[in-house]
Amino acid sequence: MAAGLASKCSRVGRSLLGGLGNNSSGLLSTSHEMTCSTFLSQQQRTFIQMRTILKVVDNSGAKKVMCIQALKANKKGARLGDTIVASVKEAHPNGKVKKGQVVYGVVVRAAMQRGRCDGSEVKFDDNAVVLVDKQGRQPIGTRVFGPVPHELRKKKHVKILSLAEQIA
Amino acid sequence: MRLEKCWFCSSTVYPGHGIQFVRNDAKIFRFCRSKCHKNFKMKRNPRKVKWTKAYRRLRGKDMTQDSTFEFERKRNRPERYDRNLTENTLKAIKKIDKVRIIREERHHEKRMKGKKAKENREAVKELEQSISLVKAPTALQQDPSLTLPIKVKVLQQQPEKTVAMMEE
Repeated sequence: MAAGLASKCSRVGRSLLGGLGNNSSGLLSTSHEMTCSTFLSQQQRTFIQMRTILKVVDNSGAKKVMCIQALKANKKGARLGDTIVASVKEAHPNGKVKKGQVVYGVVVRAAMQRGRCDGSEVKFDDNAVVLVDKQGRQPIGTRVFGPVPHELRKKKHVKILSLAEQIA
Repeated sequence: MRLEKCWFCSSTVYPGHGIQFVRNDAKIFRFCRSKCHKNFKMKRNPRKVKWTKAYRRLRGKDMTQDSTFEFERKRNRPERYDRNLTENTLKAIKKIDKVRIIREERHHEKRMKGKKAKENREAVKELEQSISLVKAPTALQQDPSLTLPIKVKVLQQQPEKTVAMMEE
């Protein structure tokens, strides 16, 4: 009798414990997911569109520009390698480009992933731009900082590629 | 064509697969699938995630030091095409692969060598320590007070009674 009772008790206890364990694990997992979704890296990245602030990675004198139009790009906005029209929001005091000027630029780094010719994808840390002239061919600055994708060759921005430090 | 290794799980990334992330210091992180990419975004350390190659190598689960690994290496100088050399290489690949598999099996056997003896030892210990929890079946037969009262007969009688009542 006693043995049977003991076994029954133990079974009940185990099931209770199991239930508790399941609950706690579920709670933990949900909280974990929530914290993960708040990470900046997990943020949903989208096209470069009107009012997107981009870093300028050349020595033209501008520091930050705001996109005001994407040229010849997707209807939704510009991606890696596309040309944009932007207004200069921050600039060095004695550079070629002044604050408030309207400039053209090529997107050389984009946080939104872009398909490559072989079907894989590439994405970067930030949104960065290199300023070019109105024809969209010659860069205004004489240097380009940071990595640059090789897709620019396809877009005929060979000058930017030759100025770049690294090609990814 | 180059077969790269996934940064997270160290599996091969075939052309057209996965995604690559380029950090601002031009370090390239290649991922074989979204699983690895997501784990990277969650800032997980591949050495602490059990299913990765890094974890298994660190804990001695896999063979790490072997001469067969020396053949598979990144070479930055492109080899000039030579028909005979290519033929020999293709032949050698199969042979080396066979040797590697045999050696890996041997490594696994070596690793698992003491497992059965260990399990036996643990089982014997458990039996000695907790023999009081179980009674031998012969003991139950000798002392009927240890067994539960049999309910089967009662269950068999009940339907007969109901049938009899129905007839009345």
